[in-house]
Amino acid sequence: MTASTATPARFRPGSTAKVGLLTVIASEVFFFATALSAYFFLRLEHPEWSLPAHTPTGLWAPSLNSLLFLASAVVIWRAERAAAADRPRAAQLALGATLVLGLVFIGGQIFDFSQSGLKPDDATFGGIFLALIGFHAVHVLAGMIYLGITLARARVGDFSAKHHTSITLCAWFWYFVVAVWLVLFGALYLI
Amino acid sequence: MTTHAEALSAPQAAAGSGQGLLSWVMTVDHKRIGIMYLVTATAFFVAGGLLALLMRTQLAQPNGTVLSNAAYNEIFTMHGTTMIFLAIMPLGAGFGNYFVPLMIGARDMAFPKLNALSYWLYLFGGLFLFSSFLFGGAPDAGWFSYAPLTEKLYSINHGMDYWGLSVLILGTATTIGSINFVVTTIQMRAPGMSFTRMPMFVWMTFVTSVIAIFALPSLTTATLLLLLDRLVGTHFYNVSAGGSALLWQHLFWFFGHPEVYIMILPAMGLISEVIPVFSRKPLFGFMTVVYSGIAIGILGFTVWAHHMFATGMAIGALLFFSANSFIIGVPTGVKIFSWLATMWGGKLTFKTPLLFAIGFVALFTIGGLDGVHMAVLPVDWQITDTYYVVSHIHYVLFGGAIFGLFSAMYYWFPKMSGRRLSETLGKWQFWLMFIGMNLTFFPMHVLGLLGMPRRIYTYADNLGWGIWNLIETVGAYLIALGILFFLINFFRTMASAPTNEPDPWDAFTLEWKASSPPAPYNFAEIPSVRSRRPLWDEKYPDKADWKQAE
Repeated sequence: MTASTATPARFRPGSTAKVGLLTVIASEVFFFATALSAYFFLRLEHPEWSLPAHTPTGLWAPSLNSLLFLASAVVIWRAERAAAADRPRAAQLALGATLVLGLVFIGGQIFDFSQSGLKPDDATFGGIFLALIGFHAVHVLAGMIYLGITLARARVGDFSAKHHTSITLCAWFWYFVVAVWLVLFGALYLI
Repeated sequence: MTTHAEALSAPQAAAGSGQGLLSWVMTVDHKRIGIMYLVTATAFFVAGGLLALLMRTQLAQPNGTVLSNAAYNEIFTMHGTTMIFLAIMPLGAGFGNYFVPLMIGARDMAFPKLNALSYWLYLFGGLFLFSSFLFGGAPDAGWFSYAPLTEKLYSINHGMDYWGLSVLILGTATTIGSINFVVTTIQMRAPGMSFTRMPMFVWMTFVTSVIAIFALPSLTTATLLLLLDRLVGTHFYNVSAGGSALLWQHLFWFFGHPEVYIMILPAMGLISEVIPVFSRKPLFGFMTVVYSGIAIGILGFTVWAHHMFATGMAIGALLFFSANSFIIGVPTGVKIFSWLATMWGGKLTFKTPLLFAIGFVALFTIGGLDGVHMAVLPVDWQITDTYYVVSHIHYVLFGGAIFGLFSAMYYWFPKMSGRRLSETLGKWQFWLMFIGMNLTFFPMHVLGLLGMPRRIYTYADNLGWGIWNLIETVGAYLIALGILFFLINFFRTMASAPTNEPDPWDAFTLEWKASSPPAPYNFAEIPSVRSRRPLWDEKYPDKADWKQAE
């Protein structure tokens, strides 16, 4: 008889949250995939769009920005490892550094777009460019809010080497926004 | 042993079992949220039905003068949007909320607070959409909102903005709800409740939720771009400024076709619970039904452009989407044969739930075959945008989804309220709806072949369409009468004293093990499961399924 009143092994809050976040990310992947499809659909109808010449700053500024953003994924990975190794101070530093790098990225995006001279009503290229980086920036901001809350919780000692699911989930979401940016960067600037 | 259960249930009981309005507003109990979904969705179903009656009254005779052309546009748009987003989907979500945790032997959903959030978002999105009638005009571009009709140039009031914003709100509600169903199904099953033993309704809710999680983002993208066009001044769908009207169609139908399965799969799951119980047999070919549900879920993403055969696609694309539309009929047919084989040789008791389930099988088969007709390219070119299409979608979504949902309503009402709905009134409702449904929607085949386009607000009297339209209007009023019988039945039953029978149908699955209505914590002791019919095993240990298997 396997019946028992004990909480079954499946009822683990940590893993439930992980499955939940993975489901969210799966849905978000489809969101960006459909948005990118819209971009390519419009681009096929407009062979005159010449890439990446639309940015007067050239590829330097966006590339540097992307590299820094990629570095932020490594930093938050270090935060997760530090939390698991019971080094709370190092984990907090790394979370804070990720937050700063996120802010730098958003600043860089605003700079790049203002330099490009593109406008939303700019015969669809400006529109779809703005829409894609805008949709992505909103996700980065959401990730930063999540990071901020997690950092605040880390500072009051909410986490331990065993229990730091929020930091792990935060890192997963951050990997996701960084990965999406790499794809968008390739589509908007390189190919 | 019980102490542990009480300890677990105590916080829930405090949050979800009080009396009064506030206790409902604050609740995170999946059963109360399920009831709120069902009540709200039924109210929207009645509202959407009244809109349909207005249309049928206008069309009863040639040169009708009940509605103006502008009002007619608003009403058919709101009818479709309401029935899809505010009635059928949330009715499925309501039953899912109430019964998925009970059927898998859990005490609640994985994320009870998110569950409450998705209900309140749904209610707000629905009220927001309907408020457009009061504030400057309802949306008027049809439920699939084709560009460029939706652009600011052609839709000058704020109706489309209301539509776009409420679709985003409702989409968020559905996505959150779907994530909750998926995680609940993966994480919260009782010991022994393996995937192969999960009740079919749970399976179909799971598949539906996965489809929603992957299909809704496309609608979100499409709608965000539409709102940017209307509110920021971009030109995504404005052909004259370098945009593409077809882009909307692709994005919309990549959501819109899976959406059809989001509406029908829960109902298929529901009748897969009802038919076995009222046939006194297990579901025939259980895993085949599961696999066919999964196949429908996957294939559903590969047929979207069959809504666009008349847009001048490349021949390769036409053939691809046509072929897939034939193929998706196969897993659907598999399910129909499975239900028939379940009833074959069974001891059928023709209670109202079974009547509605059989009605589903019959009507859905007609609608499904219509769908196969339209996969044939030359046929589609002939009948696209005619009443033939209107007939098809109502046979599958009204004859299918709504009949399935009413089957579940009669089946599960004793569990939710402790009272059985009246069989007499139920049978009246069934026959009124069954006859009314066929009178309303069958002649639409004829009108479609005669060339009557959908969405016209009136027609001339020399086209020979008048008699068919009149029959349809009579049918629509019969359906309305049937729904009235349901409402009377509901209120009369709720006014009677509860009998609290835990298991009035001698059923098979775990929800009938709990009391009627169940305690806030569902089960004092988490049940353990050894077969697909755990309650049958418990009631008839000599004939237990797991013994037969050994």
